[in-house]
Amino acid sequence: MNATHHHQRAAEQSPGPSHFAGNVEMDNVVLKVNNLKTYFFTRRGVVRAVDGVSFDLKKGECLCLDGESGCGKTVTALSILGLIDSPPGRIVCGQINYDGLDLVQCSSRQLRKIRGNDIAIVFQEAQSALNPVLTVGDQIIEQIKLHRPLNYKEARRRAVELLAEMGIPSVERVMNYYPHQLSGGMKQRALIAMSLSCDPKILIADEPTTAVDVTIKAQILDTFRELKAKRQMSLLFITHDLAVVAEIGDRAVVMYGGKDVETAPVSEIISNPKHPYTAGLIACLPDVSKATDKLASIPGTTPDPLEMPPGCAFHPRCDRAMAICSQQQPPRVAVSGEHKVSCHLYG
Amino acid sequence: MIKGLEDTIIKLRHFWHSNMRLVSYYWERTHRNRLATCGLAFIVFLVLLALIGPFLTLDPTEVNFEEKNLPPVGFTVEQSVYNIETGEFITKKVAGTWKHPLGTDSKGRDMLAMIVSGARVSLFVGLIATGIAIILGTIIGVLSAYFGGWVDNVMMRFTDIMMTFPFFLLLVLIVFIFGPSLIFIILAIGLTGWTGTARMVRSESLSLRTREFVLAARALGASDNRVVFRHLIPNVISLIIVIATLSIPGVILAEAALSFIGLGDPTVPSWGIILEAGQHSLDTAWWVAVEPGIMLFLTVLAFNFLGDGLRDAFDPKSQI
Repeated sequence: MNATHHHQRAAEQSPGPSHFAGNVEMDNVVLKVNNLKTYFFTRRGVVRAVDGVSFDLKKGECLCLDGESGCGKTVTALSILGLIDSPPGRIVCGQINYDGLDLVQCSSRQLRKIRGNDIAIVFQEAQSALNPVLTVGDQIIEQIKLHRPLNYKEARRRAVELLAEMGIPSVERVMNYYPHQLSGGMKQRALIAMSLSCDPKILIADEPTTAVDVTIKAQILDTFRELKAKRQMSLLFITHDLAVVAEIGDRAVVMYGGKDVETAPVSEIISNPKHPYTAGLIACLPDVSKATDKLASIPGTTPDPLEMPPGCAFHPRCDRAMAICSQQQPPRVAVSGEHKVSCHLYG
Repeated sequence: MIKGLEDTIIKLRHFWHSNMRLVSYYWERTHRNRLATCGLAFIVFLVLLALIGPFLTLDPTEVNFEEKNLPPVGFTVEQSVYNIETGEFITKKVAGTWKHPLGTDSKGRDMLAMIVSGARVSLFVGLIATGIAIILGTIIGVLSAYFGGWVDNVMMRFTDIMMTFPFFLLLVLIVFIFGPSLIFIILAIGLTGWTGTARMVRSESLSLRTREFVLAARALGASDNRVVFRHLIPNVISLIIVIATLSIPGVILAEAALSFIGLGDPTVPSWGIILEAGQHSLDTAWWVAVEPGIMLFLTVLAFNFLGDGLRDAFDPKSQI
């Protein structure tokens, strides 16, 4: 019906690449976010939740968006899906290129076809992300029928397969359960199964391990890793936890105050952080081999989103701040091939 | 066509399978409330009466002046009867007969048959008018909450305006303009009675709308339509059931009141119509007015008890 939706799917048709992180050709980019700015126009002023974020998501890789709460990670994800409530929010500039389309310019109808079908999202709290009055099975079946021309029976079979694939025991029974009858880990799995129901090319995971305990967290990370390998899916993994980044990420984007301050392969972020903020985050990771009384922390607090500091937003908390830091926004500098940083230290 | 039917059957089976426990849970909670159980029993009795009663009783329209103003069984009244031969009034004692267990009215019609067919009319009015009001109110409330902004503003101000109209006067006006036909009475009650429902459903949906599963549904490609009908409305169903149960008696009373002031449909024997006819002969045949009155009273009470019980059962915060 909608002619513009039947576009070329070049990225999809290219043969599955066998690549390593940090050694990927440019045509493997499935999602390109360029200078994205999402502002919220509130009564108290303009909140620049996302203020010029750029990154590429490559086929089959796991890209981590890392940063403190309130730094714009989730808003970035919602902007990609076109789910910013307007008013008060609006994408004021930037492009999000997916499959030859600019998602910022897409009609809501086009976006609806892409959501769930091409780009899916798993939310943080499985408890509240599942509808409490529908059974788990019904929710997955409905999701499948939304994007696939299957009848109820076929969709149900597919849902059972998906849940089984996610390692849920006695699937037929669980299909008839309401969300409150499942444990936290099971709910999270059911939610992931639902997101995967239409074989999305990109899966956005918004802090999927925050609300579950450590053992479940490890299991869920394993699940994501397997899925990525098995389905050649690109994963945009949002987390505030650098340990999780080290565990699952291929590359990472560190965000601060709505901006991407450092982008690099994960190994390099961990071993050789350039931005003082990234370095501070890594210094904060507790070392279990040493007994200490006090955990390290970055001094100061996250800036008020209504009054971002001028220049580099991090300068009030930065121990290496210079005069220029409070006056000019730092340019994005490539310190090595895949390693970009926005800091005056390297300008 | 066949395929769709098959789908529906499988779906219903799964639905029943997965909801049996839930239904039995709420049944258990409602059942523990004795008044609500009594209310439910009476309503079931009333529904059966309305459905099969008319086949078992006499014809409620059959006029027989030989047997007019007979009292119910067990009662004896004195009646003055005009004697054609002597041209005098004589007083004689009249006792109720089992042929007319609830007596007859001033035209000799069987009261039991009239009460039974009146139950049919009153329930019909109550269910249909409440249905219209609930559907309208739910849709307006949910849409208002979901879309917010100017949609919400327009709809809620319209609701405010509807609320400020004196409801009964509006009813009288509509019936006066369109004539006293039962269909118009039902429509009038239904089309004016949705405002409270809309308000309550809106406030409930407002809090639901911010829950993550609504965002999650949209994030996975659900349209507004789908979010409203598959995600929001199922979540307010318990509220709707309670509102509906509690508003049915109001509707039945409204119809009776309209009939009582002479604006009812004279061709259909509702309880209100019988009551209205009975008030003129209160001194000679009190039962004609009292019997439909008692039925109205019990019905309203039953629905209110059941509604209260359901409200407590559906309220997760109440411990019963």
